[in-house]
Amino acid sequence: MSDRKTLQIKQISAHPGPIPGLGVQRDLEVCKLVDTTTCIGCKACEVACVEWNDMPFAETTFDNTYQTMPETRWNFWNLIKFNEHQREDGTIQWLMRKDQCMHCADPGCLRACPADGAIVQYANGIVDFNQENCIGCEFCVSGCPYNIPKFNKETKKVYKCTLCSDRVGQGLEPACIKACPTGCLKFGSKEDMKMIAESRAAQLREHFGYENAGVYDPQSIGGTHVIYVLHDATQPELYGGLPKNPQIPWSYTVWKWLFKPVLGAFSMLGLVGVLLHYVTVGPRRPQPEPPKKED
Amino acid sequence: MPTAVERFDDKARAAFDRIGRNEVYQGELQRHRVYTRFLHWMVAVFFFLSLFSGFGIYLPWLFRWFTPLFGGGPLSRALHPWFGVLFVFFFALQALNWLKPMSWTKADSAWMRRLRSTISGEEKLDPPDTGFFNAGQKVQFWEIVIGCVVYLITGIILWAGARTFGPIAVAFSYILHDISAIIMLGGIFIHMYLSTIGEPGTFQAMTRGAVSEAWAWTFHPAWYKEVTGRDPRRAYEEARQRMEAGRSK
Amino acid sequence: MTNGWIDIKNTDMMLIMGGNPAENHPCGFKWPIEAKLHRNAKMIVVDPRLTRTAATADLFLQIRAGTDIAFLGGLINYAIQNSRLAHDYLLNYTNAAFIIKEGFKLPDDGLYSGFDPATKVYDKSSWNYEEGGDMTGKAAAATALTGAAPAQHQPHTSDTASGQGHQAGGPMGAKGTGGAVPPPMLPPKVAYDLSLQHPRCVFQLLKKQYERYTPEMVERITGIPKDQFLKAADLYTSVRKDGDMKKVSTIIYAVGWTQHSFGTQIIRTAAMLQLLLGNVGRAGGGVNALRGHSNIQGATDMAGVFDILPGYLKMPNPTDTDFAAYLKRITPTAAKPDPWDSFNYWSNTPKFATSFLKAMYGPAATKDNDWAFNYLPKIDRNYSWVNIWNDMYEGKIKGIFAFGMNGVMIGPDSQKNIDALKKADWLVVCEIYPDETSEFWRAPGITPEELKKINTTVYRLPGAGFAEKDGTFVNSARWLQWKNVALPPPGLAKVDQEILATIFLKVRELYRKEGGKFPDPILNAWFPYTDPKNPSLAELAKEINGKALADLTDPNPKTGLTLKAGQQLPGFAWLKDDGTTLAGNWLYCGSWTEAGAMIQRRGTDDPSGLGIYPNWAWSWPMNRRVMYNRASCDPSGKPWDPERRQIWWDESKQSWGGNDIPDFKADSAPKDHMGPFIMNPEGVGRLFVPLGAMADGPFPEYYEPIESPIANPLHPNQTNNPVVKKYKTDMDKYGTPDQGYNVVCTTYRLTEHYHYWTKNNPMNVELVPEPFIEVPFELADRMGLRGGEKVKVTSARSHYIAKAMVTRRIKPMKIDGKETFQIGIPIHWGFRGIAEDADKTAKTLANQLTPTVIDPNAFTPEFKGFLVKIEKA
Repeated sequence: MSDRKTLQIKQISAHPGPIPGLGVQRDLEVCKLVDTTTCIGCKACEVACVEWNDMPFAETTFDNTYQTMPETRWNFWNLIKFNEHQREDGTIQWLMRKDQCMHCADPGCLRACPADGAIVQYANGIVDFNQENCIGCEFCVSGCPYNIPKFNKETKKVYKCTLCSDRVGQGLEPACIKACPTGCLKFGSKEDMKMIAESRAAQLREHFGYENAGVYDPQSIGGTHVIYVLHDATQPELYGGLPKNPQIPWSYTVWKWLFKPVLGAFSMLGLVGVLLHYVTVGPRRPQPEPPKKED
Repeated sequence: MPTAVERFDDKARAAFDRIGRNEVYQGELQRHRVYTRFLHWMVAVFFFLSLFSGFGIYLPWLFRWFTPLFGGGPLSRALHPWFGVLFVFFFALQALNWLKPMSWTKADSAWMRRLRSTISGEEKLDPPDTGFFNAGQKVQFWEIVIGCVVYLITGIILWAGARTFGPIAVAFSYILHDISAIIMLGGIFIHMYLSTIGEPGTFQAMTRGAVSEAWAWTFHPAWYKEVTGRDPRRAYEEARQRMEAGRSK
Repeated sequence: MTNGWIDIKNTDMMLIMGGNPAENHPCGFKWPIEAKLHRNAKMIVVDPRLTRTAATADLFLQIRAGTDIAFLGGLINYAIQNSRLAHDYLLNYTNAAFIIKEGFKLPDDGLYSGFDPATKVYDKSSWNYEEGGDMTGKAAAATALTGAAPAQHQPHTSDTASGQGHQAGGPMGAKGTGGAVPPPMLPPKVAYDLSLQHPRCVFQLLKKQYERYTPEMVERITGIPKDQFLKAADLYTSVRKDGDMKKVSTIIYAVGWTQHSFGTQIIRTAAMLQLLLGNVGRAGGGVNALRGHSNIQGATDMAGVFDILPGYLKMPNPTDTDFAAYLKRITPTAAKPDPWDSFNYWSNTPKFATSFLKAMYGPAATKDNDWAFNYLPKIDRNYSWVNIWNDMYEGKIKGIFAFGMNGVMIGPDSQKNIDALKKADWLVVCEIYPDETSEFWRAPGITPEELKKINTTVYRLPGAGFAEKDGTFVNSARWLQWKNVALPPPGLAKVDQEILATIFLKVRELYRKEGGKFPDPILNAWFPYTDPKNPSLAELAKEINGKALADLTDPNPKTGLTLKAGQQLPGFAWLKDDGTTLAGNWLYCGSWTEAGAMIQRRGTDDPSGLGIYPNWAWSWPMNRRVMYNRASCDPSGKPWDPERRQIWWDESKQSWGGNDIPDFKADSAPKDHMGPFIMNPEGVGRLFVPLGAMADGPFPEYYEPIESPIANPLHPNQTNNPVVKKYKTDMDKYGTPDQGYNVVCTTYRLTEHYHYWTKNNPMNVELVPEPFIEVPFELADRMGLRGGEKVKVTSARSHYIAKAMVTRRIKPMKIDGKETFQIGIPIHWGFRGIAEDADKTAKTLANQLTPTVIDPNAFTPEFKGFLVKIEKA
């Protein structure tokens, strides 16, 4: 981040006209691209995530699937979801999608969170939890359209993928990206990833017969900083319940920022009312009350 | 049903009376016995603890003002549901204790129709058929009963969270919990006002447990009649005449 | 691999079959993905299950395990019938035009000519080329003859006297013990018909052989519906549509092809298909074996197999009474059409063998003692994997060293291996974990009473893990890559060479003190290492590369280079048969030269963009990245595809050169018509394999697996491979559908686990915690079985219990009209490991189910495609 500002020219000697590059900013928004059409479900990203984040091992049980566990856990932030989909012609598609925090442009978790500073969104788009400030209310869990934040009963805090903000801050790619053997995971600026994703989707449509191939970057939450290339972008639900049109519950948008203060103020009317009553009408006393002193 | 509840209440009353004091002076009537007062103050304490620990979570602007009272955000969040549970618990006992006097009667409906003149102060005396609790008190009581049910259900949903009940249920609970809190918050101002400066002489009912006879025939005439056997209006008239006689002297 | 991992990115078409690279070679799988991304390459996956590889395929076909030859034979038939052939390539670079001797018979009844039912061995003398000249245009006369070609044996003709064909001996020394009759030889001058019309020319025989593999027959055998097969056949051969030679297709396989009683022939079929389509030697082409262990290629190169010496030199057998007899048997002579040329690189065998003996015995190997040739053991019988365990079971082998392998888990028929170990006197295991072999006595079913009767002494040696030792890995692409130590071995653990050297020195001391029947090979073994108790692997790598023992001059006089005695050899062209050079493995010669350790290079430049990376590590032979790359050019020496130029003939320099190292005689001009397949005495690729190189036929023929649900539709009276080896102890049982074994079962590995190690590692166990059995949805439905419930799978040998994974990724099949189900079992779990020790599994071993039957050429067990029955447990 620092070089963005420090090496921007502020003043320039003897240069007629506008200062070159002034006000120009590098596109800082980062993005992870997951090409589900070249994912082989090898789980290298799962292992890299566990190891980089130094997570304790979790016990799992066989569940009639290759999928490691049904959903992400507080100590397992990156999960490939395996889905068998029977197409209309009877053939089977085995869809694999890496599930993790989507780092929404409009993050439902952040909107839902009541705790000061527990969730931040960096200028580069990463949505990060700061467990020091987390109060463990789990509102973020219900605010998330992707079922990502997970509560740890022992620490009473909520955890999720950080997009390796610690690595990205040092100019490294997230651990999952580094581990991916096929290159189905890519990391870069949102603009670049979007371009690569769109061209891959076009290739799938033109050369591989996937007429509905497309990019998943839902605008209902302002886009995400993890985007998918899907064989069939019209049916994201097939990929382990990826919502087509993700929404943040309105309780965390309209309610939280409009109705709550208004209603809170409204309840103060009770106080105002009784005070007014005291001043204008005055108290009701047990009768008979002694007459007022006449001056 | 009355038998079991009543037996429990009777036992509790008797037990608490052995521990606490009832101070009733000349010209006063016993209104709330120790058990009732104990419950009331327990409900009050946990109401305010719940309220203040909830404030921090309710509005981000209040977060930094209220959470330090309870040792910070995480502890506020951890304590709030327990405060709430205790509030509901004590109020549940209170409700059992008061179930009978709080039942709605025709007199209450009439009382409500006269509400405007009561507020405006035109009517100094409550109607003669106003019993131990008036309709306003009953409304508040039943509001709290309903509020507690809402708190309990939505609170448990919020407590267990989306991983148990799903995000939709949590989102709805979040709203209902808030609405319930706001109504109750509005009501508490009226309650506090009327029990202190709004109707002087009331507060001692929850401290010593006794009220003046005048207070009783003014605000709860039917109850006055019930405990003293005297007609409240006549008692009032007699008192008024005594007072006027005193003045003319 | 003829090519390499990175080279797959150059392909236009992939057939992935008998392998599951996405799961078992995920890092290498980036290159098929690259081909898809950057060349729009298509991927066809043929597998018994819809695997994670198939999940990324453009076309997936579900095949019955073990029927690959039928499928590939069908592809060959399709290519021929639809003229999707590389005509010039076929004519000039294969033996398509060669004429086969009269008397050779195709296996219409399941048997080639020369079969002896008593010994179950072929007399291969009719599997030979006809001696002669140009027969082009002389087809008409011959046609009449072949129609009634008698199947009788032809006596050996006089051509045998002049030839010294090394093929006669076959891959196993024991086969050469035929007695007084001299083995048949290849003719030096082969008759040929360039019009490919002669009825006995290889092409016509091939056409006739695979005409029977119609799409309908493919469907009956493999269970792949005809329309799907035709779709795949059209797609795969589309690279040769309208005679176009620019496009290239590749075939990628792994142990799904080798682990059958006809595994070698499956791979042969693939090689033939690639020759017909002109795909061998070309960037993005070839026949590519994906090796399963990080260093399995190195293990094979360095003779981790009983019948070869390092560098694929043949093992001596008892008929090799002296070095000259041995060399005569194993050194081939050229056999080709007269006007053509053949490099016949194996003619250098004496140089390789002599240099190897010098490396083994050093100064003790002299000209006078035949370079100590008689120190080498001479193998009198088959010492392959299953035979070793069989011999131990029969009490003939008394002890075993198990290093870097878990013999009990590997099987086949693991119970037999466990029982064999009970009978052994001693067992030495070098491992990093307590494993099923070192604790075979804890196998389920062994009672305390039985345990008392087991008298096998078990010695456990703590070995070092892969990250705790340096040395090289040789990957599937034949690259020798040096690795450094990451961590020292923990506790008492020691590196392998220290353990082995310690044992060797102790044994030598005993021989020195106590003597013995023949102590010389041990006492005279050359052990010149700085620290004999723990030789450094760098020192060994240098010895394997080889060095000059006297001052030498370059065999190519143009360069004028010289070497001083003691210097590292720059390449195998320098090797001598006069004792002045030493090389542990001629193929690795050039890997550690005077210029340094080529195997440690890390150059990342790739000037051609073909992914050759000539300065990254070192690949045998002589850093050539694509083998037989002469075939990437047309006969005039110009690349078939100008955009993928590997090598080419430079007319001005009169030499071959280019982006890769030519796998060819550098100054052989195209007009000389030297064949690109320089390791064959013919110089060309073999569609027809003459004489004894294959035990079961010069063309692959489809045979059913030993346990099969149907009789072979091609020849019901000869269902199985006629020369296959079955075993005869009481443990060797084989099941039939009549006995109720009617479900086809296959075994495989998972991405999440590495063989039998990672069940000890919590991270891997977290990813896949328990053993399971993949069961088709329709079969489960019929059984009333739900996912997660336990099932018991029983073969004629034993049973296996695990939870069911009910899936739609395996579908029911129609095999020869009969509804047939297939199930699959990952092999990773045993009776020691995290889940096992916590009593979370049934502790059965997948290989308790597999049959003891081996491929007659490579002796690999049939781990895939056997019969079982399945029930709820």
